[in-house]
Amino acid sequence: MVFSSIPFLFFFLPLFFLLYYLVPFRAKNYVLLVFSLLFYAWGEPIYILLMVLSSVIDYSIGRLMDRYDKVFWIRTCLLCASIFANLSILGFFKYADFFIETINLIAHTSIPTLDLPLPIGISFFTFQTMSYSIDLYRREVKVEKNFFSFMTYVSMFPQLIAGPIVRFSTVNEELHNRVIDFRGFYQGSFRFLQGLIKKVLLANQMGALWNMIQGQPYGTISVLTAWLGAVAFTLQLYFDFSAYSDMAIGMGQMMGFHYLENFNYPLCAKSVTEFWRRWHISLSTWFRDYVYISLGGNRKGIIKQIRNIAIVWFLTGMWHGASWNYILWGVYYGILLILEKFIWGKALKRWPKILQHGYTFLIVVVGFTVFVFEDWKKLGQYMQQMIGLAGNRFVSTEFLYHFRNYGVLFLCCIVLAMPFYPWLIKQIQRMKRSRIERLLKGCFAFGYIALFILVVAFLVSDTYNPFLYFRF
Amino acid sequence: MMKRMIYQKLVSCFVTGIILIGMVVFLLLPKKTFSEQENQELERFPKFSKEAVLDGSFIEGLEAYLCDHFPLRNSFLNIKTQFEKLLGKKEINEVYLAKDGYLIEKYKEPVNNEKVIRVFNSFANSLQTAECYVMLAPTAITIYQDKLPVFVDGSRQEENRQYLMEQMNTKVIDIGGILKEHASEYPLYYRLDHHWTGYGAYFAYRVFCEELGLPARELEEYQISEITKEFKGTIYSKVCDFSAKGDSITLFQLPEQKLKVTYVDTEEVTDSLYELEYLDKKDKYSLFLNNIHPLVEIENLEIQSQEELVIVKDSYANCFVPFLTEYYRKIYVVDTRYYRLPISTFINENPAIKNVLILYNMNTIDTDLGVGGIY
Repeated sequence: MVFSSIPFLFFFLPLFFLLYYLVPFRAKNYVLLVFSLLFYAWGEPIYILLMVLSSVIDYSIGRLMDRYDKVFWIRTCLLCASIFANLSILGFFKYADFFIETINLIAHTSIPTLDLPLPIGISFFTFQTMSYSIDLYRREVKVEKNFFSFMTYVSMFPQLIAGPIVRFSTVNEELHNRVIDFRGFYQGSFRFLQGLIKKVLLANQMGALWNMIQGQPYGTISVLTAWLGAVAFTLQLYFDFSAYSDMAIGMGQMMGFHYLENFNYPLCAKSVTEFWRRWHISLSTWFRDYVYISLGGNRKGIIKQIRNIAIVWFLTGMWHGASWNYILWGVYYGILLILEKFIWGKALKRWPKILQHGYTFLIVVVGFTVFVFEDWKKLGQYMQQMIGLAGNRFVSTEFLYHFRNYGVLFLCCIVLAMPFYPWLIKQIQRMKRSRIERLLKGCFAFGYIALFILVVAFLVSDTYNPFLYFRF
Repeated sequence: MMKRMIYQKLVSCFVTGIILIGMVVFLLLPKKTFSEQENQELERFPKFSKEAVLDGSFIEGLEAYLCDHFPLRNSFLNIKTQFEKLLGKKEINEVYLAKDGYLIEKYKEPVNNEKVIRVFNSFANSLQTAECYVMLAPTAITIYQDKLPVFVDGSRQEENRQYLMEQMNTKVIDIGGILKEHASEYPLYYRLDHHWTGYGAYFAYRVFCEELGLPARELEEYQISEITKEFKGTIYSKVCDFSAKGDSITLFQLPEQKLKVTYVDTEEVTDSLYELEYLDKKDKYSLFLNNIHPLVEIENLEIQSQEELVIVKDSYANCFVPFLTEYYRKIYVVDTRYYRLPISTFINENPAIKNVLILYNMNTIDTDLGVGGIY
């Protein structure tokens, strides 16, 4: 079930919160757990067992680690067991066919593929449970003794299918003791609404534009249209993904949980390094803390540092999907980050700001073009169209037509991808208690309500509403 | 700090209210099974079974059911359309918002050309005595190309129509020219429906007569009556723009004709080509020949000629047939989507059938399964 859908919005969500708010505190985790399992079962009735299995493993390992607290080798073995178990689950369900196909390609064998449907959210929940075991091993969190609380943490529906990757340390305290008040409800639901609007009115529309452009036959779209498409996809992915995070953070807040932010205006970063500090923060910090630092980080000389960066980015690419284009996408960033770190990073900082933004944006857009095509041939063809090697013209009337249809929203997206909105809010708040302030706030309130009604209108009419993370 | 949250509070309460009201209203509202608006069956509540739950079909059905039965669905669609219009969109739900209030369906790249050619040609070859004619009706996208939004290229349909006509080894009745010629003079197509109007059908009839050597009537000879101005057809339903003005439906009648119309499947017999009770419903175009029937027999009771005609057709023919009744003793109107017997055998066994007309519009010819039923 996706958040931006009629069943979720008008049934699941209100029923859940009615019940959640009505029951006494000690029952709240159970309500959350049951609804989370229902939520997962909505799309994946069988794979729910997998999630339970992963939770049982890491819960037991946690208990054992706690019990043999003094015995170093047992703790180490238990950690290895947890990582092995989680990576096996992930490897089998997500990458088995990818490995088989790769072996078939290299060795000219014909091992049949398994064709298993990918369990939704598997990359998120396995990473969450692993973070628990590792943190426990590092003695950074306390052991969780109540299985149901742990299961609640793993399965919590707000972040279950599209992140952010919430670490156990973030919610550890709040699992047992959290403040649930009107303030959290107002702020959380407002945040959820913002995410919903982003997803339905911006991301989906950019997605429709991208879909229209990439569906055109090879060689028929102009260079500008190809770029419009690539930027539209970049915007779609950013707004879609950050919208999911907004909705997750908002719903968490409504329940009394405080997740960490996952996006911080990545598209206006001034370098690739900065982009990755702002994009999908929960994932990049996960890899930083658990892989990069475990491998020694930057403390063991330049050669090892480069190796570590390479490994992290190979894995980051692979995490996004079982296909070579994701790996290429990861490696592309690995190389760029190494180059920035050792070669042109310092020079870059002396460029005019606008060029720094432009440089980063260009790299990001080209990167997502690699990201979106799993088919090499299509990727090659689209790239050719972007640089005008497909015998296509630089600009044609169909560009103007696309722009006419989507231009307003496209420009809205560009503006909202910059930290313009927080700036505006700040300006309004500066006008303390003036009449204009009240008037503007009234306009905002009215605007949000109107946008919500529009969201419902878009959802009811069944327009293009994709779920992008089924490969994660 | 709390002060700052007033507008968030307001928004939050309002939205929560809408969601709760939406849920309750949905649960209480009686559910329809048929949408007049869209002229189709609505989703039914999915059957609950273990298998359906496990393979996900129950959930999919439930989601479609919820969308279809959502309270005030049309008003929401309208809101969406108005918003998209405000953004300057010229294309909604595969429909172009063309000039002068025309809603014109996008032409989809044809995928069944070879099948159409094969079916039509083998059908024509299998006929022994009857002469077969093919009439491919362009849709509004070709005839009202100049009304399309700027930068939209609407020439593909005409290109394909020419190609198909070249490939036919039957006689071809090309009505493109005459329709183009009169396009600005009369409304040849409905603005909100995918059909042509009586005027469009009339000019097609002129070419038909010319090809077959029949004397055609002038427009003035008919008793022309505008029976409604409130027709909002199929394309309207796709866009749901409440601000659109309805179309007029015009009938062209010869009052002295005495007809016997038999709907073979329902065994209904009447003396009129028009079922005017459809005027109270949404799908008013159905008044021509009572919507869809596998086979309709139209007999002209006061005519010397012994000749008979078979029309193999889609719904474009429903308002075209009235122009032909004065020339044939009997017209068989066959809708091959539903007519399941071999038509060519039927034609060959009835020597009185002198002419066969295949009439399809350029959209249905590629998308409609009925074409496959011809041969």
